[in-house]
Amino acid sequence: MIEASQDERLGTLWRGLRWLGVLLTVSLYTVMAPFGYLLFVCLCVLWRGDAARRARRMQRFQAGAYRLMHRWLRLMHIVDFDHRRPLPGLPAGACVVIANHPTLVDITSITAAIGGGTTVVKPTIYRRRMLHPLLVGAGHVEGPGDDPLAVGRVVDEIAERLGWGMPAIVFPEGTRSPSGELHRFGRLAFEVACRAGVPLVSLTVTCEPVYLSKEVPVFRPPHPMPRLRLDVLAVDDPAGVGGDSRALRERVENRYRSWLRDLVPVRGAAYDAAAEDTECAISSKTG
Amino acid sequence: MRNQLEDRLKTLIVETLALEDVDPATIESDAPLFGEGLGLDSIDALELALAIHKEFGVRTKENDERNREYYYSVASLAKFIEDKQAEASTAGSA
Repeated sequence: MIEASQDERLGTLWRGLRWLGVLLTVSLYTVMAPFGYLLFVCLCVLWRGDAARRARRMQRFQAGAYRLMHRWLRLMHIVDFDHRRPLPGLPAGACVVIANHPTLVDITSITAAIGGGTTVVKPTIYRRRMLHPLLVGAGHVEGPGDDPLAVGRVVDEIAERLGWGMPAIVFPEGTRSPSGELHRFGRLAFEVACRAGVPLVSLTVTCEPVYLSKEVPVFRPPHPMPRLRLDVLAVDDPAGVGGDSRALRERVENRYRSWLRDLVPVRGAAYDAAAEDTECAISSKTG
Repeated sequence: MRNQLEDRLKTLIVETLALEDVDPATIESDAPLFGEGLGLDSIDALELALAIHKEFGVRTKENDERNREYYYSVASLAKFIEDKQAEASTAGSA
């Protein structure tokens, strides 16, 4: 009985410390972000000239910054993600990388793992005064926004970046996935892969326990520490479906849904086991 | 006249976008084409714009703030085509 209440107190203390870690991280980010953006603006000025070369260099720099960020998140026991974990089957150079989108840090983890890539950014974010030079310089593409016909420009611009030899990272759901589910996939990524004739890489993102999702915001860090993981689900050659983006979308979306169906029961068991392990670890420390 | 144009548009949508399991007669004229309505996406909109240009000679400008309004439903598209054709015939006769 005494042991149980001691464990409870330690659990509360541990949660409190992690909450303080989150607060420190968010505060540091808020204070440091303007300096980071300023540095990127300086690099844009310094690396003027060939747009493709500048974009590649800035993307490498951005990937480095994200790796540093994930090391910090791991150190603070906020999210455990290892960008060095290999992604077997990932082609080098131009390809379209798609993924489900369960957390706020999916784009940073994918960029950190694959070493950079062009992304489609919401127009409201793309046009923010501080971010604009960084996004343009790093070769990111402004999304179509409210005009459904602006997608033609987006397809052309991504195809151009693929021609520069860089990967394009697209979340086909267009927004964060609901917990344990998927929104319907849009066709942009599939159309680009078909038009450019490059491989389409399907990545899976899992975060256990769920965190930084629409349901679990930043100031509610779960217990145990969430583990973010990327895996290659499949690599598709658009020629395999005759370059038909509709057929490619159907094939890939069905595969994701089937993966998710298989994952959900495992997810519950894995969470229970992880929670049990951590409780045992706390007990053994106290015992 | 408007009903005929709407029926033609419904058939054009089904043919252009290869919506094999959709009967043109079941598409409601006022139902949204995108999202929760017929479930079209922006690439579909692009293909539809090209088909409308071929079929009716009406070009949709990119970055027009009203595109979302024009492409909202079959009824709004029909009105857009009628207005553009009327504009073109007025300009031609002037």
